[in-house]
Amino acid sequence: MVGPIYIIALALGLAFFLGFFGKSAKTLSVYLMLAGLAAMTCISGTWLSAFIDGSVSTQEIYTAGFKPPYSINLRMGLEEAAFTFIINLIGLLGGTYLFQTLKKAGNAAMSVFIILIMSLNVIVMTRDLFNLFVFVEIGSIATAGLILLDKESKALQAGLKYMIATGVISGLLLIGIIFAYSFVGNLNIDAIIGANLAGTTAGMVAAFLIVVVLVLELKPFPANGWGLDVYEAANPGVGALVSAAIGTASLFVLHKVLPMAGESFYPYIVAVGVITFVGSNLVGTQQKNANRLLGYSSIGQLGLVVAVIGLEPVLGTSFKFIAFALIINHVLAKAGLFWISGIIRKANISEWSVLRTKPALLISFLIFIFALIGFPPFPSFFGKYQLIMNLISSDNIGTAAFILIGSFAEGIYMFRWVGDALKNEVAEDATESLDCGKLNKVLPVLLMAVAVVAAGYLSIPFVDGAYSTYFIPLAFIMFIGLIDSFLPAVVKNVVSIAGMAYFTYVMYPIIEGDLMRSIFFGIFMIGGILTLIPGFAKKGKREGFYPAALLMYAGLATIITADNTFGFFFGWELMTAGSYFLIIRGKRSKAHAYSYMLFSVAGAYLILFGFGFAYQAIGSSLLEGLGEIKLLPTLAYTALAIGFMTKTASLGLHIWLPGAHGEAESDVSPMVSAVLLKAGVFGLMLLFLNMGDNGETILYVLGWVGAFTALMGNLSATFQEDAKRMLAYSSIGQLGYILFAISMMTTLGWLAGFTYVLNHFMFKSILFMVVGGIVVATGTHDLYRMGGLIKKMPLAFIAVMVAMITMAGLPPLSGFAGKWLFYNAVILKGWYIQGVIVFFAGTIAFMYAYKMLHSIFFGQLKDNHRNLKELSPAILIPAYILIAGIMYFSVFPQDVLQPINELLVSLNLGDTLTWAADGNATTVLSNWNGNAVMIIIVTTFALVLLYTMLITGKTKKLEQFNIAYSAERPFRPETTHYSHNMFAGLNKAIGFLVAPGITSFWNNVSTMVMDFAGMVRRIYSGNGQVYAGQIIVYIIVFYFIALGK
Amino acid sequence: MDKKFMVALLVAAMAVILFPLFQSFEGGTQLSELGQYYTQNGVSDTGATNLVASVVVTYRGLDTLGEVTILFLAASIISFFLSVSKDDRIENRTVMSVTEILSTASQTLVPIIVLVGAYILVNGHLTPGGGFQGGAIIASGTLLMFLANPNHKLNHTIIHVIESTSGIAFVAIGVIGVLMMDGGFLSNKLFDLGTPGEVISAGAMPLINIFLGLKVGTELSNVLGIFVESQNEK
Amino acid sequence: MDQYLGQVVMAIGFILAILGLYGLLSQKNMIKMILGFSIFTTGVNIIMVAIGYVKGGTAPILDAEGNAVAKFVDPVPQALVLTSIVIGLGVTAMMLAYVMKLYQDKKSLNINDYKDLKW
Repeated sequence: MVGPIYIIALALGLAFFLGFFGKSAKTLSVYLMLAGLAAMTCISGTWLSAFIDGSVSTQEIYTAGFKPPYSINLRMGLEEAAFTFIINLIGLLGGTYLFQTLKKAGNAAMSVFIILIMSLNVIVMTRDLFNLFVFVEIGSIATAGLILLDKESKALQAGLKYMIATGVISGLLLIGIIFAYSFVGNLNIDAIIGANLAGTTAGMVAAFLIVVVLVLELKPFPANGWGLDVYEAANPGVGALVSAAIGTASLFVLHKVLPMAGESFYPYIVAVGVITFVGSNLVGTQQKNANRLLGYSSIGQLGLVVAVIGLEPVLGTSFKFIAFALIINHVLAKAGLFWISGIIRKANISEWSVLRTKPALLISFLIFIFALIGFPPFPSFFGKYQLIMNLISSDNIGTAAFILIGSFAEGIYMFRWVGDALKNEVAEDATESLDCGKLNKVLPVLLMAVAVVAAGYLSIPFVDGAYSTYFIPLAFIMFIGLIDSFLPAVVKNVVSIAGMAYFTYVMYPIIEGDLMRSIFFGIFMIGGILTLIPGFAKKGKREGFYPAALLMYAGLATIITADNTFGFFFGWELMTAGSYFLIIRGKRSKAHAYSYMLFSVAGAYLILFGFGFAYQAIGSSLLEGLGEIKLLPTLAYTALAIGFMTKTASLGLHIWLPGAHGEAESDVSPMVSAVLLKAGVFGLMLLFLNMGDNGETILYVLGWVGAFTALMGNLSATFQEDAKRMLAYSSIGQLGYILFAISMMTTLGWLAGFTYVLNHFMFKSILFMVVGGIVVATGTHDLYRMGGLIKKMPLAFIAVMVAMITMAGLPPLSGFAGKWLFYNAVILKGWYIQGVIVFFAGTIAFMYAYKMLHSIFFGQLKDNHRNLKELSPAILIPAYILIAGIMYFSVFPQDVLQPINELLVSLNLGDTLTWAADGNATTVLSNWNGNAVMIIIVTTFALVLLYTMLITGKTKKLEQFNIAYSAERPFRPETTHYSHNMFAGLNKAIGFLVAPGITSFWNNVSTMVMDFAGMVRRIYSGNGQVYAGQIIVYIIVFYFIALGK
Repeated sequence: MDKKFMVALLVAAMAVILFPLFQSFEGGTQLSELGQYYTQNGVSDTGATNLVASVVVTYRGLDTLGEVTILFLAASIISFFLSVSKDDRIENRTVMSVTEILSTASQTLVPIIVLVGAYILVNGHLTPGGGFQGGAIIASGTLLMFLANPNHKLNHTIIHVIESTSGIAFVAIGVIGVLMMDGGFLSNKLFDLGTPGEVISAGAMPLINIFLGLKVGTELSNVLGIFVESQNEK
Repeated sequence: MDQYLGQVVMAIGFILAILGLYGLLSQKNMIKMILGFSIFTTGVNIIMVAIGYVKGGTAPILDAEGNAVAKFVDPVPQALVLTSIVIGLGVTAMMLAYVMKLYQDKKSLNINDYKDLKW
């Protein structure tokens, strides 16, 4: 194998050699430089593969032919090989990316470039403190040079600030090094670590100076204005190097040198890292400049790894994996994003919509952003999961919480960016500035995207509970993604449905025998297939729709089939990502999808936080841990409950839902409403079954939350003029019932809950499919613009009517079963006041059911709807399949409820129900028989109908225009519409209950965060001298906190 | 508060932090472990009587290579962004007239300075001096030339050739050390160590010193030249 | 005097370093800032040399026969300071070049005029 020393020799020889060419042969020079970088990559790559094979052991490389400490030695071990490989690879791809720029700049710039990469190699490998200093300086000077590639005034300013800052800190580093030498008599890092330098006061100061300077090289918040300016002003290709390659090397150095300061110093490094991660991301929320934003994110991510380095003693054997997963994730994603930025050449993130003209780059962009936030299947997801588990297991709960807060803050700006890219208008001249004609610019980006996915796959063996089977549906989705832009929607729909059916068939055995999971699995998978069918009515290619939908369903299936918290969380995040992409497809969905994502991410982090306690309890990721939580159980269970409730859109956490569901595409609404919301219910049920005695208070509170959610949801629904928003609010109300029912934690309550879950799944699917179809057909969301459609769409009318009857809980349909169980449960539980609220909410449900049915189907047919036809069979067929389901459930409720009852009895929930052989259900209070109710009502109805038909035979049919109009036309025609502002009186009476107080609460929260960020970022005054002063302040404060005793 | 006062407070706090370091210094009572080793074994290891040179060139040769690299970087970067394109250049800018003394002295002194520099770098392994010192002295000759005649033009081709050749030679010597000797990059034992105290002794050290001196001399001259030429921008 | 030579030089080094830092942080003129930086690095270099001082020691150079004639000062800091000087030189040269370019751009040497990037 080629010795690592040749990396240095090769790079320097080449750099000097390029000087021969002077200003000529620039093309040849670039190729030579790239060849050199490729050779360097190969050398470290072969070492890396040899270390992975285990065919070599760690090598010490002595220079000058003398053993250390008398000469400088380098080390090549697994870690060094991995880090130099990453650095060299980024160098090679970065050099390729900058091909034209470097060629234009000339041979000197190429020499600088290759020397920079070489210096990073030495920084990683060297074991000599002073040698480290020399090559850190080489790196700084080379960076200062590369900042100037674009020779702009801003770059010059950034470069000078950078030089001043690094000049000051390197001087202090030198003082630290020389005193360390004087105390230990040695410059060898291992010897200094072995000599307990930090044992004396002065020795500690020396160690402090060394470590704090190496921390400062990583641009810790808030002493990092100089670093941010570099990111903003330098060529994005250089930004990629600074963030990915230099950042990586600096992290390695910190890890290498930190032991000098002794064990007691580690917690401060954790604090530094966490402050940087949270602070940088918070301040970043105000930023609109793409490169500077990437700078904030880079600094934040590096801060996170700094914290992990400080946590090494705590994390134990997981340390290497966690650190490496986070680093590789950062390197690949951040380099990719910087390179995309250089192709897009749009400073303001709101102009990034131009990405949509380049699908490959758009997909890469999305992969990078989701990788940075820590979504599966990317390495940071694995790393972050394991990190939080280990932190909580080791009682570092505050650190875990802050890390999650920082991650969330990063989500705030990253998802705003994604929304801008996906939804903003593309200006006509926007594509002119694009620079993607060159393969050498695009290819590195795509490579990074592939690599970050691959790195995720390679993370599997390192995390407890991660299985490679989780990637099978993802592979299918990738396949769909590959054919996405070629095939029409019909074909993809068939493939997707077939794929889901097969997946259901394969996965079912895993959960067979577990009734609760089977029910939810059935809802998700059958619901998934049924809600895909309306897609046949859509034309065109629908690019992006199928990967997103399948991603959501794959996530839902994984949630159900997982036996451990990792799998659950994996599925949860897949589901979140998929549903986000579905929701944002709506025309006016940008803001709604954004708020959905923020609530989802916050909820997901709360869930992860709660899972940490379960992990702590049993030392593994198995779901059983949820029942064993002994450490702060109330906190853990509350976090989990709130996390799940972000998906059930319970009161206070619901503000994303109406817009997200209401503005979604017609066939997306049933997916995200009827199906997706049940994931939150499943999570809550899982939680409630495990809470035991610790959950009493939580359940009581959630009961109230459920009751008020039901009231608020239904009340808001009655005041809606928008058909889909009405259904969306109705979902909030229905989920409120479910939350209330299962919070009772009795058999009857849970039976009611299951009945509501099944009913809501069926009727809300029908309603959203049919009403969604009608909205598309009529071209309006507004109820008062519809009317009289019963004759045009009789089948749609019947479907909506059946669904409405179920929803309103009227006999004979299954909605009544739910109500009956519910009232029995409430009375037995003794939650009377809450019960009254829910009862009241139920009454309100009649009102909007009536309003919707009437406004759409009765009254006057509108002029422009005269040519409408019945809805497409693609919508009606799944709707009628679901109606058949409702009918079956209504007539034979015992077939479903009896097994559930048995399950619940086995769980000892109390307040049971007994079933007679004829389907008669009895509680201690009353009895009910679904079959009998159905027979009686159908008979009565049939008789009345018959009679009415007999007596109406002779009446004359009234045509639409047989009505006299007065001669005037009102100024706002809708105000004369019967259904417009239908419940004005009610609104006047109790409308204040749904005043948008909660929305404005969240608005105030976000304004406060933004204002705070805006205030904090004023420390970045732009003055290079101030930045240098901030560095000194940082050192002083750090010193007096850490050592000032 | 006054800015200068704040800065004074800051540096005072910095001084407080650094004070324990100063306090711990005992004024040098004995050599460090490394220093002891070098004084005892320096000559037998490297054959050089100048122990500083043996540390600079051999024991810590990699640092020295890095040092050369820094100069090279600085020269490259400065030449890259201070270079003036032909269109913007004034060929002969009028400058303040130079005194007779300076121009005459420069003619006589420059060769002597270069000679002294050469002597110092060739004898670097024996007496105080070495590649850096010699190179710096040679560059001071260039500086004197520029002072005497600001419109003086350096021949960039020659500078680049010397610079690159000596740089590559330095690296090559290092690599030969790995290939031929005991695997030590920049090993001194390419040649016989000879008798300590003689000019041809100390293995590769004199050779390295010469390349070092040439590289440092040309690079410093180059930086000076660029600074001077950049003044010709319109 | 000999007794405290090391401490005196060390003190000078620290004082210079602190003064240089003060200059760098307080002067608005960028050239003066760079001068401050130079003083700072000079101070640091003096500290390095002082560290290697041994009372009564001479330059670590052997006589013609290769024998140690006297007590030596530590050769290591002397070697390190050489590197440090060169690095300081490189950085200073680069800073000056930056300032020259910036001056051409805005005809100002005041650091406060170069705040185009912020927040």
